[in-house]
Amino acid sequence: MRTRFLIVDDSELVRKSLRTVLQANPDWEICGEAADGESAVALFKEVHPNIVILDFQMPGINGIETARRMSEIAPAVPIVLFTQHASSDLEKHARAVGIRSVVSKTNAFPMVGMIEALLGPTDPDPGAKESPSPGKD
Amino acid sequence: MGEQEKVNILMVDDQPGKLMTYEAILNELGENLIKARSGKEALDHLLKTDIAVVLMDVSMPELDGFELADMIRQHPRFQKIAIIFISAVHLTDLDRLNAYQRGAVEYISVPVVPELLRAKVRVFADLHRKTQQLEMLNRDLRTLSARLMAMQDEERRRIARDLHDGIGPLIAALSMNNGLLAQQTKKLGPEVGEVIQQNNQLVEQLSKETRTISHLLHPPLLDEIGLLPAIRMFAEGFAERSSVKVTVELSPDIGRLPPHVEISVFRIVQECLTNVYRHSGSKTARIKIEPSQEKLLTVEVCDEGKGMPRTNGVPLAAGSNHGVGLSGMRERLRELGGTLDIQSSEKGTTVIAAVPVSKTMGKSL
Repeated sequence: MRTRFLIVDDSELVRKSLRTVLQANPDWEICGEAADGESAVALFKEVHPNIVILDFQMPGINGIETARRMSEIAPAVPIVLFTQHASSDLEKHARAVGIRSVVSKTNAFPMVGMIEALLGPTDPDPGAKESPSPGKD
Repeated sequence: MGEQEKVNILMVDDQPGKLMTYEAILNELGENLIKARSGKEALDHLLKTDIAVVLMDVSMPELDGFELADMIRQHPRFQKIAIIFISAVHLTDLDRLNAYQRGAVEYISVPVVPELLRAKVRVFADLHRKTQQLEMLNRDLRTLSARLMAMQDEERRRIARDLHDGIGPLIAALSMNNGLLAQQTKKLGPEVGEVIQQNNQLVEQLSKETRTISHLLHPPLLDEIGLLPAIRMFAEGFAERSSVKVTVELSPDIGRLPPHVEISVFRIVQECLTNVYRHSGSKTARIKIEPSQEKLLTVEVCDEGKGMPRTNGVPLAAGSNHGVGLSGMRERLRELGGTLDIQSSEKGTTVIAAVPVSKTMGKSL
């Protein structure tokens, strides 16, 4: 069973890069994409993702509010806040609405490893073919 | 010189004959002449009309001139009105002193010399007109400065937004691509791995520089999660860039405030910290924001630096580099109906801004 990602970001470029990074893992797939919070929540209900990668600053409701609404619908689905503004304060607000992790967009390097850790041992050896320990140097 | 605006001159005397005489004397000034037969009638006029000069008889039944002058002076709105006494009795120096202590600008004794009276009234009528013009220009200037400041905030917000929306995604994409490449290091060999590593550092540096510019222009957390996180984030970045140790004490009771208040308070703190870094020589700074009364917010920034330049013991608030920032702060506060207090000595400077807020600050966020 492949892990299904919902990716939410108002930048097409960021979504495209996320797709490339995530799809490098054959066990991961993108089940939906949204460019703003409102449509992301609607899509979340429809496609039932296993994990959400969510932008913070978007037109309309921000990532925190979007996550709050998603957590109300399905609290078990991990949400990763993917932002240019990672800070301890933002992290505190993010945790309060059920976001599991805050990743800096501008240092996205360790993201894959972090997602793997979040998804836990159900996915014992993702990206098995070439890179046994992705995200680590 | 164009047609000048007429001002109101109030003449108070219980004798109609005298009022007619004053009217005849002052008519040629071309101002509005208003007659009152008693102190009470005079007060009625004062309340309803903007009066430039009050010409009044000292001896009147019921309310005499001195008592009327006292009542006028008690009212803050009337404190600048020029009061001219006319008196046939009470002509000693003590009487004159009495009149001046009550705020009179002139004390004229009877018989009145028409030219003299006219000349004196003209001076004060002109003064009033000039004061009015100045006040109007001042109001215009304030409106303009408030508009400029709002435009500047808006422009900064726009540039920060452009950086976020335009350059931010490019950096993010670069960073993610680098991540992908890094995963392939084994396949690509150590030399390429080294270059990827360097690229990664470059992207991080680029990101940091962009972030600093963007955050100084407009704090990103301000609109989204509020003033306090934005100030904490700014203080952290400032401490890192400046090596000034910053302590932040923020009362959580403040919660969210209207956007124009949040941006103003943020800018005041930003300006204060910039001054600490540029001028004070202090190694520490403390930011404290808390409600001091139910609907009043106190923003305090203090340092342990060398204090502000002083003239005659008074901190120099204009004409220096300090001055521009301080007057900007004052203007922002004036717009919000707040006040700025600066205490400065050779042991350090404390800037205290009091900002009225319309809501009662209570527990939130």
